[in-house]
Amino acid sequence: MERLGVFLCTGCGIGQALNLEGLGAVAKELRAAACITHPCLCAPEGVEAIRSALAGDELGGILLAACSPRAKQAEFRFDPTRVAVERVSLREHVVWSHPAGEEDTQLLAEDLLRMGMVRLAKMTTPKPQVEAIERTVLVVGGGVAGLEAARAAAGAGHPVVLVEAQERLGGHLAGLRHLVPERPPYDAPHPNRLPELIADLLAHPQVRIFTSSQLRGIAGQPGQFRVEVETPQGMQSFAVGAIVQATGAHPYEAPKLSHLGYSHSPNIMTSHELEAMLRDGILRRPSDLRPPQRVVFIQCAGSRDPQHLAYCSAECCATTLKQVAVIHREFPGVETVVLYRDMRTPGQLERFYQAVQEQPGSLFARGEVERVEGNGAGPLTVYLKDSLLGNAVALPADLVVLAVGMVPNAADGEAIRALHDAERRAATGESETQRAEARKVVEQLAAHEGTEILHLDYRQGPDLPALKYGFPDSHFICFPYETRRTGIYAAGTMRAPMDAAQAAEDGWGAAMKAVQCVAALSRGEAVHPRSGDLGIPDFFLQRCTQCKRCTEECPFGTLNEDAKGTPQLNPLRCRRCGICMGACPERIISFPDYSVDGVASMIKAMSVPEDVEEKPRIVALLCENDALPALDVAASQRRRWNPWVRVIPIRCLGSTNIVWIADALSRGIDGMVLIGCRYGDDYQCHYVRGSELAHTRLGNVQETLQRLALEPERIKVVELAHDEYGRIPEILDEFATDLEKLGPSPLKGF
Amino acid sequence: MAAPSAILPSTAFSEELRRRGGATAARCYQCATCSGVCELAPEDSPFPRRQMLWAQWGLADRLAAHPAVWLCYQCNDCTQRCPRDARPGDVLQILRALAIEGLAFPRVLGQLVGRAATTWPILIGAPILFWIVLLASTGLLSVPKGTLVYGDFVPHWLIYSVFFPVAGWVMYASWVSGRGFWNLLGDGSPRSGSFLLHLLPVLTEIATHKRFASCEAARPRRLGHLLLLWGFVGAAITSGLLVVALYGFHTELPLPLEHPFKILGNVSGVLLVVGGVLLVRNRLTDGERTGTSTAFDTFFLTVVLAVIATGVLSEVGRFAFPAELACALYVVHLGVVLSLFLTFPYSKFAHLLYRTLALVHGRMTTPPAPAEG
Repeated sequence: MERLGVFLCTGCGIGQALNLEGLGAVAKELRAAACITHPCLCAPEGVEAIRSALAGDELGGILLAACSPRAKQAEFRFDPTRVAVERVSLREHVVWSHPAGEEDTQLLAEDLLRMGMVRLAKMTTPKPQVEAIERTVLVVGGGVAGLEAARAAAGAGHPVVLVEAQERLGGHLAGLRHLVPERPPYDAPHPNRLPELIADLLAHPQVRIFTSSQLRGIAGQPGQFRVEVETPQGMQSFAVGAIVQATGAHPYEAPKLSHLGYSHSPNIMTSHELEAMLRDGILRRPSDLRPPQRVVFIQCAGSRDPQHLAYCSAECCATTLKQVAVIHREFPGVETVVLYRDMRTPGQLERFYQAVQEQPGSLFARGEVERVEGNGAGPLTVYLKDSLLGNAVALPADLVVLAVGMVPNAADGEAIRALHDAERRAATGESETQRAEARKVVEQLAAHEGTEILHLDYRQGPDLPALKYGFPDSHFICFPYETRRTGIYAAGTMRAPMDAAQAAEDGWGAAMKAVQCVAALSRGEAVHPRSGDLGIPDFFLQRCTQCKRCTEECPFGTLNEDAKGTPQLNPLRCRRCGICMGACPERIISFPDYSVDGVASMIKAMSVPEDVEEKPRIVALLCENDALPALDVAASQRRRWNPWVRVIPIRCLGSTNIVWIADALSRGIDGMVLIGCRYGDDYQCHYVRGSELAHTRLGNVQETLQRLALEPERIKVVELAHDEYGRIPEILDEFATDLEKLGPSPLKGF
Repeated sequence: MAAPSAILPSTAFSEELRRRGGATAARCYQCATCSGVCELAPEDSPFPRRQMLWAQWGLADRLAAHPAVWLCYQCNDCTQRCPRDARPGDVLQILRALAIEGLAFPRVLGQLVGRAATTWPILIGAPILFWIVLLASTGLLSVPKGTLVYGDFVPHWLIYSVFFPVAGWVMYASWVSGRGFWNLLGDGSPRSGSFLLHLLPVLTEIATHKRFASCEAARPRRLGHLLLLWGFVGAAITSGLLVVALYGFHTELPLPLEHPFKILGNVSGVLLVVGGVLLVRNRLTDGERTGTSTAFDTFFLTVVLAVIATGVLSEVGRFAFPAELACALYVVHLGVVLSLFLTFPYSKFAHLLYRTLALVHGRMTTPPAPAEG
């Protein structure tokens, strides 16, 4: 980037705290084509000054040395395709957080200016490729979540194709008479409103519905997916822009619950079987077709049990309440006993619980069901332990209902791919050991054979990656409908256990995300978290060694591979996190405004006092999603931190290339701290795996440091959430103290 | 471990509870807020959480065998704090009424009083009618001439010949019910020490309302209840002394106002009036604390208040009202006193018997606390 302009804002106390001439000298030293000081850069006059300088001096890039890039975004918005913008937080990272007029403070400001300038110099402006984006939304699954998603997307003016595997629409709710209450006063079951929803959709001109149909392939990228569906009328092919997967869940297999006797007596049934009876207005014992006197419901039948389903299925308590309410209404005189571990009735359903509790003949009792005894048509006895009655209880029953949990109708894309890879290795492996090992993997993963649902043509697998209970990975804190495949959104019970009301809401939410995705792609922009980003990664493939780290580590499956293993970019799948850039050992991946070289140059641009007695220097790489905003909050509260720290914002900890660490240490930087999001089961990384990958990579680096006789303590990785801003100054100060104890870097001055 | 015994939730019990206004027990989800806030609940066996659970299951046997329901003074702290509005205070009150009915001898009288909501005209009207018929049949139903002396209107021998057998019967019925209760209590767990020895501190406790005072929330009701208790005790002592004076020393009735017996009687009357007024005021001004009044409850209170009111009015009426009115009041007074006597083992009044026994049982089954200091 040639011809750079520096704009120094002196407002918000910057002018009083810093020596502006010194900063001006730095700008001159960096050969800025223009250097303008303004008392209030964000005021219309200030913005005008920038615009006229842009036009007059033909600047290709501007450095705004003012406030945090998170502040004044509307004011400092320039055409990103024509001018590169870099912002230096003089206000937050210098003036608000360090004593005015001190030498260290001035040195910090000058360093940040230098670092910003070199980074700007390395930037290019993105050349957005405007591609044809298909607006159709594909909805996979015609249960309540899918139907609502279809209605929402169609309502937003998008053509919709809905694919349902069954003959009829409606999923689990099809044909039910009653639903759990969804409206005030929440005290009695509602009539099922699904028929109206289905009628609505059938009449909608924008909605095409394929029942008894299966997906056979999804190729390409969001905005341009090519979909193959096998229908009773033959194969259908069409293009879609985004996909909502709402394939629902199925009940846990009751025969596996041997202690609850499901297979021993016809009078022990699942809540789904009872539901079918109640739907037909019947309540009777299957053994003799006589009405039962006492119906005993067993909650958490196999749920929250590590032997079966380790999780809570969220809807069984409410469903049981509904069934109890219907029984008391339609079959007066029948006693019901609900045996529960915890009744879970979140939100307004508590009112429903209370109303059902008060029904005459209804008893709710807490305890752990040990077993159910009874064979064939014989009498049934439910044995309860740890009951609140203080002793073991044997409860005679005429009918026992098992409230079984739900298992998602999802496929684990990564496992399927691992299976297929292993199958290939087992057939074509180079050595017998290799082939034997592969066969072992095939055996372990055999259950995944043929479970494909979406049939994605993705290098990382034909379906969404799944979490440990088989639900697809989702950024449940920030973006619940998000999956790890851009443009594909999960909704309903395949995403997480939930009831019908939640599933309906989920359908809406996922449809809104799908619509948003199509809109962003039409503008050539990334979807969040880097919404509006026009840049796409550039792969300098001549130097690619086919190591496959990028194709393996991309959390979003952006990259496919050709036969040799060279990455093939699907730019519309890309989220711009830079994890591939951090992974690449050849450093051939870069973004227009973010590159390995750019950050490395920043590290090289900062002044490092060579005298060992002088002050140490610390580089802090901060994730722009949580850590950087947290630092801004700390600054806004006028928290102070060590002035030897030089903060470099990065897109994700996962984009950290190891060469940055080598560069920093070899320059005599005393230590480096990386602050990113939490990882693990409850990860908060906006790019799912970035933070975790960074930890793995840096773990390897620390071994290397030991070999170089450098203390591994000089590199520190910290997990931090946005709301832990109070910790940031402490983290930085503590690290500085630790480094002082270690003494100056032995590499200083080399 | 022995095989668990079959436990059947009793729908009949639940229905009975519901009929008496205790359906709220079903709402309980066993959070134990009630036991936590109760200042009277013993640490090692807190209530009323457990009683709520038993009430839900309908485990009448366990409820009957446990003294806890009798330890409650119904301050309704639990009801106020209950997050589910299960109203444990009300439920315990109903459980006590059920227990009184269940232990009643003969059962039919217990049921008669237990259904006071419908039977109250009989319960109050019959004794009054009895007196009218009795007086009429003995030719005494006429207003005496001259200065009104109730002894001229209803001779004392007639009063005693009614009340002595009634008192004897009531004591017998209470004995049978009390024995039944005593045998149920604690499910046969061993008691230690002598009944009488343990009765003494319990009576002191009752006389001073010490436990009542230890329940912060019930304190406003304490004074009224205490005055009422002592008023009744005073009235009973006066009656006893009068019998002795009448037949032992042939004292002339009515006694002059300055006679010590008369003073004792009048002081008792004042205590009853003040106590009654305090309790009624409490009920009227602090409805939430009082809990839901059942007919069983209201019946007893009405009879007590009627006894006090007709007693005072009779005494005053002797001088102030026309003789016909005074005599009519006196007959009503004798009627409601008879009603109070007769319903003692079956009405809320019986709590005096059962609570005393429960407290004695408690003392006989808990090891003595180590001396403090």
